[in-house]
Amino acid sequence: MDLALSEEQEMLWKSARDFLASKVPKTLVRQMEEDEKGYVPELWKEMADLGWIGLPFPEQLGGGGFKFLDLVILLEEMGRACLPGPFLSTVVLGGMPVVEFGTEEQKKAIIPKLCKGELIMTMALTEPSARYEAKAVQVEAKAEGDHYIINGTKLFVNDANVADKIIVVARTAKKQHPEEGITLFLVDRKAPGVKIHLLKTIAGDKQCEVTFEKVKVAKADILGKADHGWAIVKKVMEWAALAKSAEMQGGAQQVLEMTIQYGKDRVQFDRPIGSFQILQHYMADMSIDVDSARVSLHKAAWMLSEGIPCRKEVAVIKGWLDEAYRRVTAQSHQIHGAIGFTKDHDLELYFRRAKAAELYFGDADFQREIVAQELGM
Amino acid sequence: MDFRITPEEEAFRKEVKEFLDKELPKDWPGVDPDLYHEDAFDNIHEVSLAMQKKLAAKEWLGLTWPKKYGGHEQPLWKQIILEEEMTYRGSPGLDPYQFVGGMGDLLLDFGTEAQRMKYLPMMVRGEIKGATGMSEPNAGSDLANIQLKAELQGDYFILNGQKTWQSAAHKADLEPVYVRTDPNLLKHRGISIILVELKKTPGITMRPLEMMSGLKAFNEVFYDNVKVPKENLLGEINGGWKIVMAALSHERAYGVMLLINIRRDIDLLVEYCKETKDVDGVPLSKNKMIRNRLADVAIQQEIARNVGYKLNHLALTGGNVVSTANTVKILGGVTTQRVAQVGMQIMGMYGQLGPVGGNWRQTDPVKDKWTRLGGRMKHLYLSTVCNTIAAGTTEVARNAAAGALGCPREPKPAPKK
Amino acid sequence: MDFGLSEQQEMLRKTARDFFKTELPKTLVKELAKEPKGYRPEMWKKMADLGWVGLVLPEQYGGSDASFLDLTILMEEMGRACAPGPFLSTVVLGALTVLELGTEEQKKAILPKLAKGEIVLTMAIAEPHAIYKPDFFEVEAKHAAHHYTVSGTKLFVTDAHVADYIVVATKTKGGVTLFLVDAKSPGVTCTLLPAMFGERQCEVKFDGVKLTRSDMLGGLNRGKDYLERVMHRAAVAKCSEVLGGLEYVLEISVQYAKDRVAFGKPIGTYQAIQHHCANMLNDLDSCRCMTRRAAWMVSEDLPCALEVSLAKAWMGQASRRITALGHEIHGAMAFQHDHDMHLFTKQAVVAEASFGSSAYHGEVVAKELGL
Repeated sequence: MDLALSEEQEMLWKSARDFLASKVPKTLVRQMEEDEKGYVPELWKEMADLGWIGLPFPEQLGGGGFKFLDLVILLEEMGRACLPGPFLSTVVLGGMPVVEFGTEEQKKAIIPKLCKGELIMTMALTEPSARYEAKAVQVEAKAEGDHYIINGTKLFVNDANVADKIIVVARTAKKQHPEEGITLFLVDRKAPGVKIHLLKTIAGDKQCEVTFEKVKVAKADILGKADHGWAIVKKVMEWAALAKSAEMQGGAQQVLEMTIQYGKDRVQFDRPIGSFQILQHYMADMSIDVDSARVSLHKAAWMLSEGIPCRKEVAVIKGWLDEAYRRVTAQSHQIHGAIGFTKDHDLELYFRRAKAAELYFGDADFQREIVAQELGM
Repeated sequence: MDFRITPEEEAFRKEVKEFLDKELPKDWPGVDPDLYHEDAFDNIHEVSLAMQKKLAAKEWLGLTWPKKYGGHEQPLWKQIILEEEMTYRGSPGLDPYQFVGGMGDLLLDFGTEAQRMKYLPMMVRGEIKGATGMSEPNAGSDLANIQLKAELQGDYFILNGQKTWQSAAHKADLEPVYVRTDPNLLKHRGISIILVELKKTPGITMRPLEMMSGLKAFNEVFYDNVKVPKENLLGEINGGWKIVMAALSHERAYGVMLLINIRRDIDLLVEYCKETKDVDGVPLSKNKMIRNRLADVAIQQEIARNVGYKLNHLALTGGNVVSTANTVKILGGVTTQRVAQVGMQIMGMYGQLGPVGGNWRQTDPVKDKWTRLGGRMKHLYLSTVCNTIAAGTTEVARNAAAGALGCPREPKPAPKK
Repeated sequence: MDFGLSEQQEMLRKTARDFFKTELPKTLVKELAKEPKGYRPEMWKKMADLGWVGLVLPEQYGGSDASFLDLTILMEEMGRACAPGPFLSTVVLGALTVLELGTEEQKKAILPKLAKGEIVLTMAIAEPHAIYKPDFFEVEAKHAAHHYTVSGTKLFVTDAHVADYIVVATKTKGGVTLFLVDAKSPGVTCTLLPAMFGERQCEVKFDGVKLTRSDMLGGLNRGKDYLERVMHRAAVAKCSEVLGGLEYVLEISVQYAKDRVAFGKPIGTYQAIQHHCANMLNDLDSCRCMTRRAAWMVSEDLPCALEVSLAKAWMGQASRRITALGHEIHGAMAFQHDHDMHLFTKQAVVAEASFGSSAYHGEVVAKELGL
């Protein structure tokens, strides 16, 4: 077993950290929380030029040919920097399912542009019931000749407001088992009948209500097989949970470092507060939360990269971080005192992001249910 | 990065598993890695001695030690696999001195040639049971405070004083005893380590201590003018603290073993929930709350177990294990306690029932008619209390972790005017 | 809202504390735990003479007419002392049941003797598969001619091995019926279970035990509602017992933190230990308030399903935290049998399992909230 990063991975990590540290100051992060689009197109182009957006995609499609584990390393740094923008949506919710399950035409039409930073994507899965289960897919797509007509409302769709293409998860048939009869459609955001309404969220990330009113989609825009789309959704949920876990890990690591530094700098009762035993113990517990997560994160990412089934491992790390990242930010607030919950300070950025990340593609209870199933219960 | 297990590792692991399948008594319920079971029950102790001999016959004792001393010079990864497989099965027989950082390693690193030639071959043949003589009533967390005196008189050290919390001492043949050889030096500067052959040396008396779980597996040990040949000094006189630090820096096993051992209990609980139906005929495994709680501790165990893999990786690549071992120790203690709590919650009222020792081998067919899982959860609940205390408290471990993080040290009190 | 105790209650507390200090050193507690009977009848007689066994019974039956709240104060002291014996069984499960449901004849036959310490009672509710679920009872009282025949197994019956009478909750055609059974009746077998240290719990088998209408308590099919009330009283009594124990745990932990020296200082000067003590106090205070409130409501006969379950559910979790921290502070010292700490850890475990676990009471709270 070898737990070390390769030289290439070390380089990716270092260059990502340096780039993001200089290009994504916290002032920009806060600006983007209020911004309608939520990302800076020039920065997006730079990331495309660095090969980041195409990182995990085949070279013949304009990508970097890297593995999921490499993407995870990049995402950790993005989490650390609180990078705003539609990166995860475009790469994991959009690009990866197209590469994995799309036709040659679809791949050629979408991926090269995506890698160049010219196409933003996302997936519309959850509906007002806010559950990540097949039975919650109620948005209907009715077959009419060589088209489908989509009607219904999707909710909490990440970055729909800036996406060029949205993968819509719709119900095309009512079968006995709710996982059957689901189809994925590649829909243009600007298609007639698509209405987007931006939600105001706790972390300032762009989540939307997307309504479909008689939206016409061609049969050729089905991703995968008609009525058999849920299998794709399950895979995307796994990828998304793991990708988010990587962001959470990076954020938690940054919070730990900030906290240790504060313990050294802040003086009360004539001594740095980090010299008080109880705060030392809080920080020790925080470091255990952060350090223990990293190994499991990399293990799950490695398994995914090698094509080894890892449903349990993904649920373990997402379930763990759902609570651990929250614990770490809460504990950090405790140590920072009042200053940490003002908008002047960076900590609250992480606290809010921890909550949003927890809810993204399955909170701790959701992940625990998966683990229970994987244990055979 | 590669989490794969190599074919050779897989083959050796398989070999160990098959050995245990063959050599352990059928339906072996598993004993915990803290020695309390092995030495509290004669019938289990006998299995332990038998297994020790069988391990010796397989040439698995002294696995990594030099051939010169009877060892087998096998790679460290084999030793790690052996420790882990035996722990998961709860198999006795692998004495702690066999583990990395144990007495065997101390002899190799600090012993004289004579000491190595005398004791290591006996250990390899499975002829010795070991113990460790560290703690005293006033030297727990503050180990440097030990008081047991050892005065050099001619060719002998004369030992006087008391040790406590000595697990396995009443069955042990040999133990390194931490003594004060110079009371005039600073606390940790006046400590030495002396090898004592417990069974053969007169003047040593023991008083068994009963734990809250009912097990009688450790002892107070009294030294009354005990004569030990000066050749039994391990390392330099007054150089004991250095050895303590070295031993602690190698210590990786305890936390990891706790985590591997408790997996057996998680697996046991899953089976129990699948087989046991609630009053409405539905298996407990379908109860949402139980699923959630069991999954929760399973997640904690898996996360922590992975840090154990990291620890192995560090040990195998010569990295610094101290801080990671510290993390695993803390996680190990907390995880075992949480599993015990969930186990008791799942058992409900039945959690109260069971014999001392908590396994079917200790049950009485009449008295334990209603006892479930041999009373394992009750035993676990009472015995895991010590997992955040023994071998270093969680509080002290957190102090060390904070130090490693670079937290500022507590200021020394201002001198009194 | 007044959380204080009356003068009388303070006196009761003091008398009880002094009594147990003299009569029941912890060494005796540990000895008794090893004996089959589990308690000393002479001590039981002394407690009866002090008026404790009949405390809440009306004077006409030899009691002191004290309130349930007074009883819980006494039980706090019993918990602090780890007092073994069939007190809760006899008084809360037995005496109060006969008092509330019995005919005058039954009350006259049982209560005065009970108050004098001459007989011991208990109640058999839980069954192997239906722990506290009366809808699923299998122990049945079958009616034929003028008899009822009771068959089946009850489990976790406290003190049945020393009881003179057992109140049995049986399934009858229209619901649940309680019977007062002479423990020496043919067909009744009690076997001690290998339970936690100190507490005596039994399997009680009923094999065709013959009873008549006059053995019924409260009448045919009237048992289910009463069971709810007895569970409330028993749960609160148990909470009071544990509360007394946990106060003692905090006291000895703080004392140890002052006495034990490591690295040249009393360990109580280390902030981590200080915070452990503070957290224990927090949990203890919240337990005390909730338990007293629930006890008062039971005492005043007010509807209190929510408060009782809050107290019991919270106590289950808080007692685990407090005893765990008590152990943490004491280090290795306290997981030794010789030390007293483990008596309280075990007391807390038994209490959590008895009369509804935290999960059981959590469900009740959910229901009371309207979920």
